[in-house]
Amino acid sequence: MAGGLAAGYGTLGVMAIRFLHASDGDAMGWQFLCRTEELTIGESLPYTTPSGAKVVIARQSDGDTASDFIALSSVCPHLGCAVHWESQNDRFFCPCHNGAFDPQGNATEGPPAAAKQQLTRFPLQVEDGLLFILVPLQAVLGEGMQVAAVTKPLHHDRSEEMEA
Amino acid sequence: MSHIGEWLSERVPVSGAQLEELTNEPVPYHLKRWWFCLGGTPAYLFVVQIITGILLAFYYQPSAATAYDSIAYITEQANYGWFIRSMHKWAATFMIAAVILHQMRVYFTGAYRRPREINWLIGMCLLMCTLLVGFTGYSLAFEQLSYWGATVAANISDAVPVAGRFAKQMLLGGDSYNERTLSRFYILHAAVLPTTMILLIAVHITFIRLHGVTEFRTEDESDDAPRHFNFFPEHLLTELTIGLVLMIMLSAISTIFPVMMGPKADPLTTPEVIKPEWWFYVSFRWLKLFSLSFAVLSTGFIVGAMFLWPWIDGALRKITGKEEVSVYIGIVATLLLVGLTVWEAVVTH
Repeated sequence: MAGGLAAGYGTLGVMAIRFLHASDGDAMGWQFLCRTEELTIGESLPYTTPSGAKVVIARQSDGDTASDFIALSSVCPHLGCAVHWESQNDRFFCPCHNGAFDPQGNATEGPPAAAKQQLTRFPLQVEDGLLFILVPLQAVLGEGMQVAAVTKPLHHDRSEEMEA
Repeated sequence: MSHIGEWLSERVPVSGAQLEELTNEPVPYHLKRWWFCLGGTPAYLFVVQIITGILLAFYYQPSAATAYDSIAYITEQANYGWFIRSMHKWAATFMIAAVILHQMRVYFTGAYRRPREINWLIGMCLLMCTLLVGFTGYSLAFEQLSYWGATVAANISDAVPVAGRFAKQMLLGGDSYNERTLSRFYILHAAVLPTTMILLIAVHITFIRLHGVTEFRTEDESDDAPRHFNFFPEHLLTELTIGLVLMIMLSAISTIFPVMMGPKADPLTTPEVIKPEWWFYVSFRWLKLFSLSFAVLSTGFIVGAMFLWPWIDGALRKITGKEEVSVYIGIVATLLLVGLTVWEAVVTH
């Protein structure tokens, strides 16, 4: 009887934990950013991912390949606060625990520097002169935080963006 | 009247003498001093929290789209809403302070020692629950500071080895703060944690009754001073007096310093100056001083040592041969606690 009770309530316990455990999954997708010629050296393009994270895209060198651009997340790798650009100090600064990052996203001060962290770089891709970024697609964190549920296949996503 | 008495005693067959025996536990004389009543203080404040919390729950709506506006309604439009919300907030602050002071009193008087080790463990669980209930309640406001505080806390748990990612996903209902998060905080704050605390308090008090309260004699007491006094009515009157003083203090402070509305949460912009509630200043400063891994692991080590302190203390006393070794460690820990809290309080970053 004890075995039956343990098995019954144990199963229910496991089901309850599985029920409560929610993961966003790892749905990623390519999103259109801009035409490559629209971004010149010294300029930056602010972009908000479908999951609500801010990304800064900048051109690093002349050319028309993905390595000529950089896309840096504004989420501090230390504890997830949002960094902001301090033009007077030529750095990104995180107000939560005083982390600082250079324009390439490498940590220069605070706990992120001690842990040798850097701002997350998003993969970029250039196709036919169009710049794309690979980003997470779920859970919009903007107004009201409604779920965007943007989970479309890669080719569909791109064609839709290009049509737009 | 006698008919009612007969009707009642037939259905509740407990005599007055039995009730007196049940409640009139002899109380050690040192409990005449108010600082030894710090265990009753958080219990009283917990009752205030339950009552004001139930009242607030009539209006609060736990979703990202509605939480802030519902609190604004409570604060600015509902009759006496500002007062009830302020009472809830200030009683939470007082409760956390009282729990910490109670724990310190138990520590410095060695009241956790054999045979009361299990009650120390229960007290530690109650301390953790109190901090958690404070954190989840603070997060429900969906203001800038509470939103980013919750984000930071979730990411701290992410850094815990092995189970950290799972704990973060369970807490947030996903990999990051999302539309499911606030309802989780609400269920934890208003149902899971209070129920757990009520059960723990019941066991805590049961153990106190089983072991009796630790007895002390202070140097200024004469040898012929009474060793005990009755719970009813003397000690009950002491507790009621403390309850009255607390109610006056809470009412006054809620009126003089009512809780205001902060800026609404903006998930895209972290405020330039960000601070948690005062009881997390220590860990916030600790996180600034050390790398995330070290800060998380050292905090886990310290909390683990606090849980196991009755046994660690026993081992230390055996090794050093000094009874008061825990007092010296406690003084250093308290200075560190106060120092880091004040440091975080006085600086902007």
